[in-house]
Amino acid sequence: MYRYDSIDKDFLADRTAEFREQVARRLAGELSEDQFKPLRLRNGLYLQLHAYMLRIAVPYGSLNPTQLRKLAWIGRTYDKGYGHFTTRTNLQFHWIKLSDAPDIVDHLASVDMHAIQTSGNCIRNVTADPYAGATSEEIDDPRVWAEAIRQWSTVHPEFNWLPRKFKIAVTAAAKDRTAAKTHDIGLNLKRSRDGALGFEVMVGGGLGRMPYIGQTIRQFLPATRLLSYLEAILRVYNRHGRRDNIHKARIKVLVAALGREEFAAQVEAEWEKNGAGADLPDTELARIRGAFVPKSFETLPSVSETFEAARLRTPAFARFARNNLKPHKVAGYAIVEISLKAIGATPGDATSEQMEVVADLAERFGQNDIRVTHEQNLVLPHVRLDDVPAVWAALAEAGLATPNMNLVSDIIACPGLDYCALANARAISVAQHIAERFADPDRAELVGELKVKISGCINACGHHHVGHIGILGVDKKGEEFYQLTLGGSAAEDAAVGQALGPALPYDKVAEAVDTLVETYLRERQSGERFLDTFRRTGVAPFKEAVYADVH
Amino acid sequence: MPMFIRLEAGVFSLAEDPFTAVGDEQSVPPGDVIISLTRFQAEGEALMGEGRAVGVRLESHEEVEALAYDLPQLAVVALAFPKFGDGRAYSYARLLRERFGFRGEVRAVGDVLREQAGYMARCGFTAFEPADGSTLEDWRRASQRFRHAYQRSSDARSPAFVERGE
Amino acid sequence: MRALTANRLTDGEVVFWRKGQWVEQFGDADLFAPDDPAGEAAEGHAKNQPTVVVEPYLIDLMESAGLWAPQSYRERIRALGPSNLPHGKQTEGGATIDALLHAHGAARSTGRVDLIKRK
Repeated sequence: MYRYDSIDKDFLADRTAEFREQVARRLAGELSEDQFKPLRLRNGLYLQLHAYMLRIAVPYGSLNPTQLRKLAWIGRTYDKGYGHFTTRTNLQFHWIKLSDAPDIVDHLASVDMHAIQTSGNCIRNVTADPYAGATSEEIDDPRVWAEAIRQWSTVHPEFNWLPRKFKIAVTAAAKDRTAAKTHDIGLNLKRSRDGALGFEVMVGGGLGRMPYIGQTIRQFLPATRLLSYLEAILRVYNRHGRRDNIHKARIKVLVAALGREEFAAQVEAEWEKNGAGADLPDTELARIRGAFVPKSFETLPSVSETFEAARLRTPAFARFARNNLKPHKVAGYAIVEISLKAIGATPGDATSEQMEVVADLAERFGQNDIRVTHEQNLVLPHVRLDDVPAVWAALAEAGLATPNMNLVSDIIACPGLDYCALANARAISVAQHIAERFADPDRAELVGELKVKISGCINACGHHHVGHIGILGVDKKGEEFYQLTLGGSAAEDAAVGQALGPALPYDKVAEAVDTLVETYLRERQSGERFLDTFRRTGVAPFKEAVYADVH
Repeated sequence: MPMFIRLEAGVFSLAEDPFTAVGDEQSVPPGDVIISLTRFQAEGEALMGEGRAVGVRLESHEEVEALAYDLPQLAVVALAFPKFGDGRAYSYARLLRERFGFRGEVRAVGDVLREQAGYMARCGFTAFEPADGSTLEDWRRASQRFRHAYQRSSDARSPAFVERGE
Repeated sequence: MRALTANRLTDGEVVFWRKGQWVEQFGDADLFAPDDPAGEAAEGHAKNQPTVVVEPYLIDLMESAGLWAPQSYRERIRALGPSNLPHGKQTEGGATIDALLHAHGAARSTGRVDLIKRK
């Protein structure tokens, strides 16, 4: 894991001192709310329905146990004993006082954490594959490049006042676990025929009011030229992105307006003129890479007797192993997914106690490594198969062993109208109702992979456009209604979902999802996921089932 | 004369402004002036021919490339911030310094707040007209807030990746 | 009727206007008739308190079981706290909280679910 050196630490200290002064000036009336808002947003501080919310960056979703314990402590000290992991792999606290915020960011800085640029029209926290360094699928470790981007984008003098927010994802595997094509820039690490490392550069993805899937503007960018190329993209965007209409200000609108080829040509021209000044020297890349050298893995047999015995003995463990373990690149190890989607719980929420349990497990069994996924779950990327039964038992004790990864109850939901000032409708309770309908784990497994994603407003923090089943909350006369979409995907086969029909009232949504699932089970052919069946049949059978049968 | 903040060789100072900012509908007074791009394109050559210093005010929707040919004759390029959240001028300032090699004054005008001081200085601005009542000391402190920088920009600062190698 | 609400600057707490002061419970708020200029007058006062509250605004109320409740779900949740956890103002309990929890929706709609009739 990357360790902050004195430069990184000085930087955080300077930033927290600046923020403390800004808060003091606001409280003293020297800054108006209009002036203060963009400043607090660039430090992750929102004013929500009930209190301030602090969004803390988890750069490329990577945490160590000390950091997670500090988050738990902050949750207990300044919030109500819990936090909410987001679809941007950040952590939000929902009950923060403005007057406490400077102290909180000081505490964060003590463990090399911050809330810098987790909001505002600037470059946001970069996302990377949560299995980085653990999966055999990857071409290179995406964290190396994500860390380079983190530094480059932090308080970038030219790109801190963009037309709109800007999100970058880095993935290095054919299977995309970052939703790269829904980002403003998606970077996919590749090797050329001669073995050179580079990126496929995708630009102009984004959800929100007008969803777009990112388009490739360069098939292969030499990896060492990454930052100068990003600078060229950002400069074209900063100059030409729309500033007259907030709803048309994302880069996706510029790319769509110019067309992919023209946009790419402008970027290439800018890149050529601008030279390599932004690119990191090999020494710095090597320094960053050194922070991510693989841990010393033991030489273990690929089959663990302890693991196999537990699987035979305990059906609940067998189910967990089936759904929540993923293959590790080293024999005798596994990637362990920790679901933050217990049936009836708030998706993405973790109590301070749960955070501490995960921190302890990472320390005892997981090489001090914890990841946050954009699907609002946690991952222990390096666990010996021999230790998985003990990890499972401890997770189960803490309510963290729900065996539902990628199943219908593993639902993405934004905080919605329960917390968010922008929301039109609740998302959490809709997720809870759906999960409760699929509480029977046998049925959930029978249904198989099914990504349900719920947003409480058109801003789409819950990624509803790219859910296999997407649910969007809308407001009608102050009351909550929900529009359903089908067939979206955030993965390598990214697609925007198709509307099912008119909005449904709050109390009919879970029933409608149940009907959609039953329709799928009736229609599916062997081996088809929900998404595959939908792609084959189209919307018709689903539409008919929902609008004819729901009463 | 109105005052503005100047940055020269890394030092901030208060200075009397020798330039008059002239709107398109005003007649041009004697002395050094800053005029719009439109007016410059029509009258610039004549005004410069009178032996006075001429600066151009570029609005954020105007292309900095439009000045490329005339830059060697210009004393000032004033980059406008219609709102402090409109960040186009940061790109223009870098282009003026890094691409066009402009050595004259690059001035920040419009909705210019203390919070932008550091960004502006890094992008090559050398003159500032704060709209928020910031004093010289406020401005200097704000712009020197960060002891390190992560990126190369138009200023002479060594980015972190260079500092680390030293 | 209407009420005047805002979030308190220092901690973001939801507050309501009552006789020139800010109170934390909706049940204690002053109620203004829709045509009563006192609502706008209070809003004007509140807008001159930028170091006390953020973004004051008037909300519409509706009658529900003999009590007044905010019309929109958003405002009900602000007056109560989140529905997923027992946090916020709802923990105080009482008749007004109870009435808010059970107020019916303004749209009174059961939605459009029977659009396709089977033969």
